[in-house]
Amino acid sequence: MLKKAVLLLSSLFLSSSLQAHTLWLVPSHYVLSKPNSWIAVDASAANMTFVPDKGISLNALKLYSPDGSSKAIKDVYQGKRKSMADVQLAGDGSYRLELANPPRFMTLYELNGERKRLMADKQQRTAQLPAGATNVETVKSRSRSFAYITVNAPTDTVLTLQGEGLEISSSTHPADVVAQEALQFVFNINGKPQQHVKGVLSYAGELYRNAAERIEFITDSDGVFRFVPEQAGRYLIEASYSADIASAQADKVRESITYSFEVALP
Amino acid sequence: MKFVITRLIVWFSALLLSGNVIAAPSEITLELPQIETSQYHRPYVAVWVEDAQQQPVKLIALWVEKPDWLKDLRRFWRKIGRSNTALVDAVSGATQKPGHYKLHWDGKDDQGQMLATGNYTLFVEAAREQGGRSLAKHAFQLPATHGVIEIEAEGELGVISAVMR
Repeated sequence: MLKKAVLLLSSLFLSSSLQAHTLWLVPSHYVLSKPNSWIAVDASAANMTFVPDKGISLNALKLYSPDGSSKAIKDVYQGKRKSMADVQLAGDGSYRLELANPPRFMTLYELNGERKRLMADKQQRTAQLPAGATNVETVKSRSRSFAYITVNAPTDTVLTLQGEGLEISSSTHPADVVAQEALQFVFNINGKPQQHVKGVLSYAGELYRNAAERIEFITDSDGVFRFVPEQAGRYLIEASYSADIASAQADKVRESITYSFEVALP
Repeated sequence: MKFVITRLIVWFSALLLSGNVIAAPSEITLELPQIETSQYHRPYVAVWVEDAQQQPVKLIALWVEKPDWLKDLRRFWRKIGRSNTALVDAVSGATQKPGHYKLHWDGKDDQGQMLATGNYTLFVEAAREQGGRSLAKHAFQLPATHGVIEIEAEGELGVISAVMR
């Protein structure tokens, strides 16, 4: 019974097996004043923002450098509650840490009134669907987690939109985000501002507050979400967007991202 | 961070004095308070001026040691330190022990040009390893005609007083 309910629920929002949890990356430092510094990156899938719960694989963790190059991070450890990476930042500029697992394809269908699913895309599904399957739909889902770290002067290379999937842009550089100053984020799908992207903004310390003080938002017609961070600290944005697509592999696409950033003291 | 600003007294110098005033630089007196603690490290301190658009125009003093900790002077780092290494190298000096210090400023910007008439803000920021961080600020106008600034002691900073000329 319970299993069925879980399956049904997950069929609504499929992104990963850790669906109830939010996956995030938190660097030990967002701002550094010395080149060649090491940072530690914590990663976990958890319900509470920045309170680790489940360690995750960091095999896909990448570092994008100010010159635009990228490299895989190999110094990783997966723990029970959280995972950790050691990352050295060689030169000046802004870096992007990103954990992007490859897109997953899942086919949902009904058989004799029961919801079922297959790990298969549209081409693979034909061979795997049982006879009599109805309401067949294949979803391509992808989730990415990222954070920016700046050594000395900030640069913009790693902020450039790739024009693919769900991405965030802002008129404020991540190293310039300051408490009590207005902040706006533009949510883009395939490089264009997207209305109706849903998200949640949260900040560290939920374990020690009665109210989590999360802000749920939905982007306006310009793809924008605005807010003023009241206090300095570490914040997390999680956002997702689903849309129908007509592709050879899927009927629907679901993009989700999590973005951790620092709000500095004025 | 809260800034406790006590009072700003402005008066106009007597005619007799005004001749000398033009040549005399502004004088900023600041105090690094004695702090009783088992592990005392001298604070990193930055003193600078921002214009009405909050852009830094003059770095007056910078007392620091290792680059690792420059970022802890949060505002200084964001406004000046991270992107103007040459200026940091030119101005920086060693950290100082608790006591009273006098700084002088000739009213010129970092490029050696006299600052234009207008509104400015004096900033003093201090951060101490295993201690706190304090940011004091006070608005003033140029030409200053003997404007006096006084900022109450708070945290890592003792009383700051200045005569802007």
